[in-house]
Amino acid sequence: MAAISVDELTKEYGTVTALDRVSLTVEEGEIFGFLGPNGAGKSTFINMLLDFVRPTEGTARIFGYDCQEEGVDARGRLGVIPEGYSVFDRLTGRKHVEYAIRSKDADADPVELLDRVGLREAADRKASEYSTGMKQRMVLAMALAGEPDLLLLDEPTTGLDPNGAAKMRRLLRNENERGATIFFSSHILEQVEAVCDRVGILQRGELVAVDTIEGLRESMGGGTKLAITPDELTNGAVQSVRTVEGVDDVQVLDGPTLEVTCANDVKMDVLLELYNAGVEIVNLRTEEASLEDMFVEYTRGSQA
Amino acid sequence: MTWRVVTRRDIAETVRPRLVKLLLALPALVILGGAYLYPVLGSEPYTTARFAGFISGWLPTVVALAGILLGYNAVVGKRESGAIRLALSLPNSRLDVAFGAFASRAGLLCGVIAGSLAAGFVLVVYPFGSVAVVRFLGFAVATVTLGALWVGLGLATSLVVATKRTAFILAFGLFGLFRLAWGPLSRALEVGLAESGLTGEEPVAAAALRAVEPGRVFERVVDAFVDPSASVDNVWYLNEWLALCLFVAWLVVPLGLATSRFIGSDLS
Repeated sequence: MAAISVDELTKEYGTVTALDRVSLTVEEGEIFGFLGPNGAGKSTFINMLLDFVRPTEGTARIFGYDCQEEGVDARGRLGVIPEGYSVFDRLTGRKHVEYAIRSKDADADPVELLDRVGLREAADRKASEYSTGMKQRMVLAMALAGEPDLLLLDEPTTGLDPNGAAKMRRLLRNENERGATIFFSSHILEQVEAVCDRVGILQRGELVAVDTIEGLRESMGGGTKLAITPDELTNGAVQSVRTVEGVDDVQVLDGPTLEVTCANDVKMDVLLELYNAGVEIVNLRTEEASLEDMFVEYTRGSQA
Repeated sequence: MTWRVVTRRDIAETVRPRLVKLLLALPALVILGGAYLYPVLGSEPYTTARFAGFISGWLPTVVALAGILLGYNAVVGKRESGAIRLALSLPNSRLDVAFGAFASRAGLLCGVIAGSLAAGFVLVVYPFGSVAVVRFLGFAVATVTLGALWVGLGLATSLVVATKRTAFILAFGLFGLFRLAWGPLSRALEVGLAESGLTGEEPVAAAALRAVEPGRVFERVVDAFVDPSASVDNVWYLNEWLALCLFVAWLVVPLGLATSRFIGSDLS
């Protein structure tokens, strides 16, 4: 059974469409990254899975439970870091985790859970006095309570330092090995690239791509990037490289360096073109296109 | 149903602030002060049943104030801060959250009322009073219900709006309307109707309207069922059974409507 199955999910606020007919299936055991710039609708999507917000149209199911009609059953399978939460004012970290354990009717040791996120020492301090990163880790401990089948995490690395973010990723991988499905949203690409099996890219409320990272690279035309350092560069040379079939993008950087994004099999054509234009190549580096390049490519113009 | 879990958490969170302790002390002071003064200021015979009539005039305002203040912030405060998102990310339903908050806040107030009445009972009986256990228990039930009723009205405001400020204004609006303005307003309506000549000498509509206010309903219930020295007038809108129905309706209906609205609304 699919961990998440969403069909034509739409949310309109007045005349604004926050989410536009999104359909998506996340299989059990996957690590799925939900990617998009701020305001693209990621949180609206997750808020509907959690039934904070009612869809205008469409349905969302978690392990077969309708998120709106059978929300409690659906959330019974979940561990969640929601967007825009705050901690309970006067409760300690331990009390928070105990609350989660009781609500899930689970059998777990709050201190052990806090220990897993590195908060054992702070267990008896009021959570309202925690730093942002500590709060985030405490809520992760609440999410982990009761060994949930699906972790639903909205921007989980917010407030974490790079070290904390790396720990969080390790923890997520461990949870995944235990058998948990992981769905998390992020506007930070490295996070997603580092751990995800599949990625969905959301832009202005529309799901513009769902694929594996390799698949996305593939669909980006091989997705190779050439960094070429010539002895000197003429405008004509740049222009002629742009005309090579299979070249997506040419950037001129300081140095001068020529950054060419192109299909894998036209690398030689590019070099040949430069050679014909009389450019001598001093240095050459190739790299796979990062998700960042694809992300920019997919969401280009969304800032306009 | 996880409302008990919600209640437990809410109590742990609620009892700490000094304001809450002060709020809870208010009805306790009135009940204990009343019980202390009753043998001095009241008239013979001193019984726990007539004591009810002695303090039932003061209680509605005090209990209303404590109840409304305990209730208005119960949910909306967490909604505004975002803590409700933690609660609702867990397998708690919105009904659990609403009812858990009600059980916590009403439980605190009702516990204090019941405790103070028990202590007051002793003060009234000792040394000269006589005991009327059943009637006194009836009074205790009525007063506890009044506490729950006002917590419910406060909580209802908390459930239907999105900011603490609006809830506060709405809650105090209700308190001011029912406890301060209701008498004068219905009186003005009565006079206006009489003057206009549309109705007879005693406009029933205005009098009936005045009788609907929760505090007056409570007083009528106490007069009819508890205090042997009091009775209710024999007009339909002052009927004791109608009063009892109204009393229950005030407890159930506003909170029920507010909860169903809360369940159906978007949280962001």
